[in-house]
Amino acid sequence: MPQAVIRTKGLQRSFSMGQTSVQALRGVDLTIERGEYVAIMGPSGSGKSTLMNLIGCLDTPSDGDYELNGVAVAKLPEHELARIRNKEIGFVFQSFNLLARATALRNVELPLIYGGVKPKDRRERAAVALREVDLEDRMDHRPNQLSGGQRQRVSIARALVTRPALLLADEPTGNLDSKTSVEIMALFQRLSEAGNTIVVVTHEREIADHAQRVVTIRDGLIASDQRNDAVAPGAQAT
Amino acid sequence: MNVVEATRLAVESIWANRLRSFLTLLGVIIGIAAIIATAAVIQGLNKYVEEKLSDLGQGVFTVQRFGIITNHQQFLDAIRRNRSLRREDAHAVRDYCSSAKNVAWQVRSTADLQRGDQELLGVEVSGVTPAILEIEPFDVADGRILLPFENDRAVPVGFIGNDVAERLFPGVDPIGKELRIKGTPIRVVGVAEKKGAFMGFSQDNFVKIPYNLHRKLYGTTRSIRISVQAADAASMEYTMDEVRAILRARHHLRPGDEDDFDMLTAAGINDLWKSMTQTIFSIALFVVGISLVVGGIVIMNIMLVSVIERTREIGLRKAVGARQSDIVQQFLIESVLLSCVGGAIGILIAMGVAQLLATYTPLPARFPAWAPWVAFLVCSSIGVFFGIHPARRAAELDPIEALRSE
Repeated sequence: MPQAVIRTKGLQRSFSMGQTSVQALRGVDLTIERGEYVAIMGPSGSGKSTLMNLIGCLDTPSDGDYELNGVAVAKLPEHELARIRNKEIGFVFQSFNLLARATALRNVELPLIYGGVKPKDRRERAAVALREVDLEDRMDHRPNQLSGGQRQRVSIARALVTRPALLLADEPTGNLDSKTSVEIMALFQRLSEAGNTIVVVTHEREIADHAQRVVTIRDGLIASDQRNDAVAPGAQAT
Repeated sequence: MNVVEATRLAVESIWANRLRSFLTLLGVIIGIAAIIATAAVIQGLNKYVEEKLSDLGQGVFTVQRFGIITNHQQFLDAIRRNRSLRREDAHAVRDYCSSAKNVAWQVRSTADLQRGDQELLGVEVSGVTPAILEIEPFDVADGRILLPFENDRAVPVGFIGNDVAERLFPGVDPIGKELRIKGTPIRVVGVAEKKGAFMGFSQDNFVKIPYNLHRKLYGTTRSIRISVQAADAASMEYTMDEVRAILRARHHLRPGDEDDFDMLTAAGINDLWKSMTQTIFSIALFVVGISLVVGGIVIMNIMLVSVIERTREIGLRKAVGARQSDIVQQFLIESVLLSCVGGAIGILIAMGVAQLLATYTPLPARFPAWAPWVAFLVCSSIGVFFGIHPARRAAELDPIEALRSE
């Protein structure tokens, strides 16, 4: 049995809204193996963002179990979750979330700072990550000197730099034009082929089509979970 | 995250908002500058007074009707209790105090001086026994000091201060010339070295005449001040006891009665002066304390604004692995650094003020060596105390909410 990066069982999350409580997730069982490239789809309000926050250890479930890379994380305290976010997860956000005053290199170094990596190693590893996203010649640029696609690539490099078990992207092309979107998706493709486990959360069919597997969430439950045969591993993005 | 990184972040953040940071710090800057400048002036004054008092000479003390009176009740008590000291008291001390090396006395009044049709108003005229000029040494610029026989015979001669010389005898050598006090011609025999002004009051505006001449001019009702010089500093206590015993006997005081005179030593005056300046400093400290509290609140306010502005950044930092303690540390270091920058600017301003005061006013000012350290400590405490609330608030932000904020 291949090692699972994500294994959830009966994952539930409810939010209390004054008197009533809203059940955003109503028991999700999801297993994602190492090296998989999975898209999580669903309309807004389906619970996909809630699922993403749980997977990303930004939130803790009301009920159910969640194992990330073999560690049960559902009941960990805040500082342990912070450590896991640092070591095991690389976030890619829709709006990049780069520090405006810092160079690309400094932005990529950020997770390593919290990981306690020494300055010299930090710089080297950040440079390697930037090279992987083809930005080695933009290391000293600030975000406002970069195009949208380049900014997103910086944030991908930031996600990669800690060599996390999981790359978690939330609408990574939501703020990009279609041509740049294609570039970014090609990059994800390449990273997937290099062995990274990738989860992309999106509401766009075309984006999800790049993944090997598409999980659809509706009303807090998994509505469908399909292999995407159209995209064989190694196929070029169109 | 280590402290170096957090400090670097804080510096970047403060520098990015230079003007805002500076305005935020005005309270702290003014507070620190004010207290250190005050301390510098007080320390300068203390030093000055100490030097002045050491001019008195070793083992010198004075006996007078009123000592240092610091409140109204003391004044009333002293007026009721203390008798004028008379020439006979001084004679008794001179004749019976065996341990005293020198005994002199003087009496002071204020008079107008005339020379020809010129007039100099409000000059201190003191009648002295010549030994006083040995106990309180006056450097002679020209001529000589008064001689014992001049006192014995009440010879109309005077030893004048530099101001009197310059204003009454402009461009003329005053030695041998005459000035008049209450119509009596006085011949100038000596001019004192210039002493300069202390806190705006000239110390050179005087005429010293023989004590017996002063009695002739002003009568005998004024209380005199007796100056006694002990053999050396170590035996001063003993000499003081002796003088006290002589005067108590002369005044027929019974055991248990309080002294009806006062004795002052240089050390006593110095202590009193120090306690006075200490009080002034305490009041200044209190006022400045208010300014520092206000300054701290302003820092807290700006840190809260900063937390709101950087909500997204905080969310991101948490997402990539910052713990709550990392965020607290980052914001605390920023507020401490901010406050210490204010303190540093305040110290620089205080140094400048002390320098200006020392150069352009009669106030002596000495920059206290402890000031930078104390300022650093105080500012760090302000930074921690007023920074902890904003820092906690930042640390407790929900990363999901923070990342979603605009």
